[in-house]
Amino acid sequence: MTRSLSDDRPDDPADRTGSDAVADAEPAAVTGGPSADDRGRIKVGVGELAVTSEDATLTTSGLGSCVAVALVDDRAGVRGLLHAMLPAGEGRTTAASRPAKYVDTGVDTLIAAIDDAGGDPRRLEARVAGGAEMLDLTDAVGPRNVERVGEVLDAAGVPIVASDVGDTVGRTVRFGPDGRLVVRAADGFERAI
Amino acid sequence: MRVDVRALGACNRLAEQGAKQAAGALSDLTGTDLAVEVTGASVASGQDLAESFAGRESIGVSVGLRGGLDGEAVLAFDAVNADALLSLLPGGQSMERSAVTEVGNIALGGFLDGWANYLGKAIDMSPPRYFEADGAAVLPDGALAGDGVFLFESRLDATTTDLDFSIYMLPDSGPFRDLIVGKTAPAAAAGDAPGAAANDGTTSTAVPYESLSTFSSLAKEGSANAADNIAMMTGLETSVDVSRLRFVPLADVPAEVGTEPHAGTVFELQGQPSGYLAILFEESSAAAVADAMLPMEPDEPLGDMAENALCELGNVMTSGFIDGWANVLGTTITHSPPEFVHDIGASTISPLVAKLSERQDYGFVIDTAIRTEGIQARCDVYALPDERELARALDRLSEP
Repeated sequence: MTRSLSDDRPDDPADRTGSDAVADAEPAAVTGGPSADDRGRIKVGVGELAVTSEDATLTTSGLGSCVAVALVDDRAGVRGLLHAMLPAGEGRTTAASRPAKYVDTGVDTLIAAIDDAGGDPRRLEARVAGGAEMLDLTDAVGPRNVERVGEVLDAAGVPIVASDVGDTVGRTVRFGPDGRLVVRAADGFERAI
Repeated sequence: MRVDVRALGACNRLAEQGAKQAAGALSDLTGTDLAVEVTGASVASGQDLAESFAGRESIGVSVGLRGGLDGEAVLAFDAVNADALLSLLPGGQSMERSAVTEVGNIALGGFLDGWANYLGKAIDMSPPRYFEADGAAVLPDGALAGDGVFLFESRLDATTTDLDFSIYMLPDSGPFRDLIVGKTAPAAAAGDAPGAAANDGTTSTAVPYESLSTFSSLAKEGSANAADNIAMMTGLETSVDVSRLRFVPLADVPAEVGTEPHAGTVFELQGQPSGYLAILFEESSAAAVADAMLPMEPDEPLGDMAENALCELGNVMTSGFIDGWANVLGTTITHSPPEFVHDIGASTISPLVAKLSERQDYGFVIDTAIRTEGIQARCDVYALPDERELARALDRLSEP
């Protein structure tokens, strides 16, 4: 058997259509797209993002100092979730970096992907979770992430309608078709924002 | 041979992409959901590999490779998961060999597509060979020979069933080595090619292969020291289950730690190399180990008394761990006081990964599992050194 030379790289986000259940929405040089399962759950890993225009629930787990940004255009039924690790990628992104690793490039990429999937960037609402100050050892990377999310969304004209950020606790989130972000803390306490 | 760290990153990415394709092919075939949890290149001597695979039984498929790559690729399931796998396959138990062979063939085909594409050369696969293997016999031919090898390993995880499996590929042949040492010009114009990486204004780091292999062995000694220190402080017998030096995408490390609650300690390392070290126990293990250290049963399983005990334990383990590095590298490495952590494992380690990620996308991770006898307890030690500082220290090591 001979392996062919077919192009197996992820599609360019611009080629995606709104009917895609999963859009990992990252440029061709980026790997690490999320995976979907048949019950409509799309796992978003660290430094990844995903967009859906269907009923799938977007999830990301183990948020510590990382921050999750959930965007929804209710009217178009398009949602997207980003799990970013660091505040700013400007001038620091290399060919090997995932744009979703950083809040600034990640939010921009997420908004573009939602646009491509049929959402309207002008109608977006944001929900934010994570950005905890897990350790004294690491200098406030969580709060810096949260601050950057505020700046980037403000610049993009996207209002933050709810957030569950900061503190010293790890979180796991689910972003379902109703547009609410369910945040579960390490102690099991769960709330929808 | 000098290993180009960026080229190694690009190879790791190919292995990761390939593993995703393999997972997709398997998901389609079995109707279950598979996700690639982690892909890494481990560095280990043949002897270390043989030890780390001792007692494991595997079933799987191997194919020979010719053309763009020479060598062997292996897809292996833990034998204990074989029934779970077979129940998902068309034909099921009655078709054991042919079903597994077919799965392996499809998955490995998917895995190799990305490499062929990248190399701009077709890769010929020999017909798949089914095997059942004890211990390290599962690894590609040649893995156990020589002083050390890179072994690319992807672990895939079924989200709804217990069906982890691994893909191993061994770069012991010429073309594969050329990829890792950065000699192979990028065939694809993609930005993640090793040659293209230098355009972003940073310089690539090359590490002498022999030094990596030496360091891998020493990391293992550090793990043994850490385990001995647990034994000394708790009176429990300990053993090191796994100790490996791997090169992985840093963003994958939190997923590897997992979403279970963990307790333990983290440290900042200063010196050459600097970095972080995390010692994490699952909650029940943390409570059991703390209990063994304390003169009386604590009021709460993971309260202040347990916290103090675990911090004290973390201190001596970390000293044991890094003393070995410092000795061989001829450098001084010190560590911060312990910081107690008790939270979702992935959340705990995420700020450490984030800090290192400011400078690097991939990193060398030393992960070690230490098990205690008598009481059921296990801890995982993750050492995350700064890549450039480690490379520099290893470079000095190889100087005459």
